[in-house]
Amino acid sequence: MAKTKQYCVAENWGKGFINHDESFRITFRGLPGNVWQIPANNKAGNLWISKVAGAVKTKDEAQTIVTAEVTKAQNAWDADNVDDESSAEKIERLGSKPADITLEE
Amino acid sequence: MADYKGIKGGKVQNFSTNPPAPIPGQVWYNETTFSLNYFSSSPLGSWATGNNINTGRDTLAGSGIQTAALIFGGTTPPASALTESYDGTSWTEVGDLNTARNGLCGVGTSTSSLAYSGEAPGAQVAVNESWNGTSWTEVADLNLARANAAEAGVSNTSALCFSGITDTLQLVNESWNGTSWTEVGDLNTGRSYGAGFGTVTAAIFAGGLISPATPSNSALAESWNGTAWTEVGDLNTGRYHNYAAKQSATAGLVFGGHNGTDSLALTEQWNGTSFVEVADLSQVRYGLAGAGTQASAMAVAGSRAVPAAKATEEYTSPLESTKTVDTD
Repeated sequence: MAKTKQYCVAENWGKGFINHDESFRITFRGLPGNVWQIPANNKAGNLWISKVAGAVKTKDEAQTIVTAEVTKAQNAWDADNVDDESSAEKIERLGSKPADITLEE
Repeated sequence: MADYKGIKGGKVQNFSTNPPAPIPGQVWYNETTFSLNYFSSSPLGSWATGNNINTGRDTLAGSGIQTAALIFGGTTPPASALTESYDGTSWTEVGDLNTARNGLCGVGTSTSSLAYSGEAPGAQVAVNESWNGTSWTEVADLNLARANAAEAGVSNTSALCFSGITDTLQLVNESWNGTSWTEVGDLNTGRSYGAGFGTVTAAIFAGGLISPATPSNSALAESWNGTAWTEVGDLNTGRYHNYAAKQSATAGLVFGGHNGTDSLALTEQWNGTSFVEVADLSQVRYGLAGAGTQASAMAVAGSRAVPAAKATEEYTSPLESTKTVDTD
């Protein structure tokens, strides 16, 4: 199957990291661990990776980074308990437990 | 082969510099840069990154506009009293809330805001604080202490607080006149973590958590006319922990949230009758705050898989810009 997504690691420095024109041209998905998913074979996307000095990752490399961050967040959620709190009350207090994220090829 | 004049009825004009006030759809040739350009206008808008806040957190509140905003409270964890002010470029820490709390409501401007309700460590609170541009002062409490309620209002003298949770989901709606809270017409369906926008006489309440045990998100939207709530067109995607740019009941923008399984990047625009999907956030998040208007909004902080993100995004609609025809 043809690759439809590509991945890089880049730290969001704030204003100008993604500008309106890039946002209009590119479908971004920001993921834990400063991983960014953008369309593959996309000139605007490639130019953006270059602009932000993104470290290109394979899907598997990106998945490893994302999974490590999600696991850390899940463990923190599991460890954050209040005496006599029901599961519903915990969700009301903390929100749902962070879900696993599976990256696309 | 048809040429441009044959299709559009006019030739492409040459300019030495780009025209100062092009109209959407206008095409021209720039003799200096040797480029063919056009002026684009998209009603869908787009989100661009803004500068990060100083202290990452979620379930905070926000007020103001894209060039003069305020965020306050939230949890880092634990519950926070921190307030930060935005000048359109950077965030600066300013005077803390008197009561640290998360799941609170906030309305107003960067110089006249109200922070009310919420969850302080161990207790839901009725605390109400007024911001004068410099500091927070405690003013008259709500009648009902609660957390994760929704809000509408324009300043520290005009606000609504509706729904939220005590031991149970609440239908209660209270109106603030600058001096005291008065109970007014109840909602039809109690929800927590929904998004509110508008004024004390015309507001919308969209989404929310209707059964924390499941958890079950809601797409419900209700409209307030100053007297009573009426069900109106639902969100396209049910969600809770979402937020709204809340300056008007006829032109709101709802973004982010959680559907019970995943965090969301989805953004929906309220046109007075129904919600329409527009451009997504670049980062999924819930428990975020926001500020601004439908045309010029901000999404601030909130949780992704990693709690308490610092990131901000700025929405602009319609998105108008000069584009160069790419010949590669």
